Amino acid sequence: MRHPTCWSCELELESGTLFCPRCRKIQPVARTEDYFSLLGLQREFALDRADLERRFRELSRVLHPDRFARAEPRERRLSLERATRLNDAFRYLKDWRLRAAYLLKLAGTDVFSEGRTFADPEFLEEQLEWREALALALSDGDVEALRRIARAARARLEGIEAEVGGMFEDDHWFSELPVEIARRLSRARYYDNIVADAERGAAAAGH
Amino acid sequence: MPRAIGIDLGTTNSLVAHVDERNRPQVLEVDGGSRLLPSAVYYDAGGDPEVGAGAKRRAPERPLDTILSVKRFMGRGPGDIRPEDRGIYRFDEAGAVVKLVLNGGTRAVTPIEVSAEILRVLKRSAAEALGGAPGGCVITVPAYFDDAQRQATKDAGRLAGLEVLRLLNEPTAAALAYGLDKRSRGVFAVYDLGGGTFDVSILRLDGGVFEVLSTVGDTHLGGDDFDRLVARKLMQEGLTPVNDAPSPAVLRGAVAAAQKIREELTAHEVVEADVELPEGHRLRARLTRAELEALIQPVVDRTTGPCESALRDANVVKVDGVVLVGGATRTPLVRRHVRRLFGQEPLTDLDPDTVVALGAAVQADALDRGGREDVLLLDVIPLSLGVEMMGGVVEKIIMRNSTIPASATQQFTTYADGQTGMVVHVVQGERELARDCRSLARFTLKGIPPMPAGIARVEITYAVDADGILQVSARELTTGIEQKIQVKPTYGLTEEEVEQMLVESIEHAEEDVTQRFLVEWRVEGDRILGSLESAFGLDGGLLSDAERAAIDERMRGLRDAMAGTDYLAIKAWIESVDAASKAFAERRMDKHIRQAMAGHRVQEFAESIVEHPRATGSKDGDLEDEGT
Repeated sequence: MRHPTCWSCELELESGTLFCPRCRKIQPVARTEDYFSLLGLQREFALDRADLERRFRELSRVLHPDRFARAEPRERRLSLERATRLNDAFRYLKDWRLRAAYLLKLAGTDVFSEGRTFADPEFLEEQLEWREALALALSDGDVEALRRIARAARARLEGIEAEVGGMFEDDHWFSELPVEIARRLSRARYYDNIVADAERGAAAAGH
Repeated sequence: MPRAIGIDLGTTNSLVAHVDERNRPQVLEVDGGSRLLPSAVYYDAGGDPEVGAGAKRRAPERPLDTILSVKRFMGRGPGDIRPEDRGIYRFDEAGAVVKLVLNGGTRAVTPIEVSAEILRVLKRSAAEALGGAPGGCVITVPAYFDDAQRQATKDAGRLAGLEVLRLLNEPTAAALAYGLDKRSRGVFAVYDLGGGTFDVSILRLDGGVFEVLSTVGDTHLGGDDFDRLVARKLMQEGLTPVNDAPSPAVLRGAVAAAQKIREELTAHEVVEADVELPEGHRLRARLTRAELEALIQPVVDRTTGPCESALRDANVVKVDGVVLVGGATRTPLVRRHVRRLFGQEPLTDLDPDTVVALGAAVQADALDRGGREDVLLLDVIPLSLGVEMMGGVVEKIIMRNSTIPASATQQFTTYADGQTGMVVHVVQGERELARDCRSLARFTLKGIPPMPAGIARVEITYAVDADGILQVSARELTTGIEQKIQVKPTYGLTEEEVEQMLVESIEHAEEDVTQRFLVEWRVEGDRILGSLESAFGLDGGLLSDAERAAIDERMRGLRDAMAGTDYLAIKAWIESVDAASKAFAERRMDKHIRQAMAGHRVQEFAESIVEHPRATGSKDGDLEDEGT
């Protein structure tokens, strides 16, 4: 593969270079970069949150458009592009649901676009029960019950996150488990909604 | 070398600051020695507008020609201004941009022009204080300002001949001023109760990085509300002669007196006043602090919800400090309220009136010097950005509280067989229906090759820059046809309009504006008729015959109006159709929510997060048909 060259001084660069080592100009995002590589990480589900945040901040410090307010237009544009990608990457990676979905996409397993549905009758049955309990607590304005429901749903979410984490530990997850992972992401969505509704309800009832 | 300046363009007062040779932010004197420039502009029938304290003094005698609190009108469109904000002013809402009518109807100015007058004075004062024209500037805006309000502020800066390096959120500016002072670390809340707006932001400070975690606010809540309530009570009790319909001049005088009394009650338990008002009126007032607090308690209580939401959005239970911003936070009741809300004594080392300007100066200086290694602001977008889907439902593309700059892409497909165009209606807000959100822009992607419904793939990308301003592009993937637009809010000023104003020949634009408006409302009419037709096809069974007949009749009225040239008539008929079909829209929403609950959309969620197109069979995932 041909190496990219600096747009300003035409020096040959390693791919993924942020700044040209000779003229110090900011370089465009390479086509091959993904959200993990943008933050200097391996494509893995498991990550150290504190490390992710540290990387994000250090990169933001040098890439943010604030550093380029007086630079030439091309540098300003590249900085905006890089900072945008970095923020997008951070947003995806810090949320385990988005991180898992992104890994599925990168693996090209494309479980979602084949029109497959995740028949999950037992889960949906259970969801109706959760929803009923939530509706009851909301109509009673029962703050304690709403908080309890939110806590219980959060606990479920933690359980699902652990399950998904376990699946990604499997060496063959991308061939064996994508449907299972996707199903759990769908379930997480339901619990996320319950947490949001219950907390909103508790705040409203608390006044 | 020209120095960069920071400007706090406030509802009640405006300030300008810079960073001095010893690297300390300083507020500059304006307008004869004061540091606060009242955000008041008086338009004399001839001559140049007067800005500041002099203009404010004109308010009682010339209420209609003296614009106060113009910030409340920034970025607002026709029919967009709340009744309680209109106050005594008269508006010209015939054009795309709302104008204030002055000088007995002989003059009309936009809020952008009024703001530009204030900015010109600040710029001139800065030039005098610094011994030369200032370089770039940073202007602060309430964190909760939407895209249209941000655009309007930037336009005002340009109109005043300023180079706007950045718009900065007011709470973030305050945090910057504090954070630098204290070298702090931890999670902080900024409680900003200004004259007309309320914002609360939660930030994490660490190693010089100011990361905004969440921001929530209300652009119609502030100290002005206190004054109106106090004025009303005082007039009921002590206005002579008794007057149930006082003139604008009398109202103005009463509100000014109320403000003074309220401010004095910060230090005193009781204030008595006897004030001469215009037109032979007189106001005798006695107010205790307890009475004041009982009056304003409901307004102060309205800040509770936003604070709780902000903490929840930031996923934070406790903060390490609370910063107070805005003159209204001097009120003892507000301080007690904040103490109770956040469980600690708020920080008050810096003057709440100047802290925002100081922060703006720090940021302006940093930007001007190509950034500082030790400081970085990571701000967020306050309101979600979305696109209108079939049935008027909003699909969010960039969620609120996303760190900016940010971008996101989603794919959509066509709804009808052979559909060659697609209307992209860009909206901002948290509500589920597009009509309850703020409409920012509407454009049509044309030239999609005719294909069966659901085959074409249109990719829509939203990109928000570091000022919080949006750009949208749409691309049809099979052909690569691309359209990009800088989202100019529907009610904002176009480039040309700003140019036009710069050469002060606004009059010529009139006709074009009317024409453009007619076209826009016709498109809107077409859109509504089209989307109702499709909705009847899909969900017609949700309507009784009588309901359907009522809607049909109003649709006919709208069609007739669209054949004419009166856009106000079209607008009125659209509202009428909307009202008649409201219940239908709600039933459709219910139906789709029920379907979602039944698991039909489980798969769609997963798709949306991995950015795949929606399933072909799904109707609610389709953008509206432009009509083919």
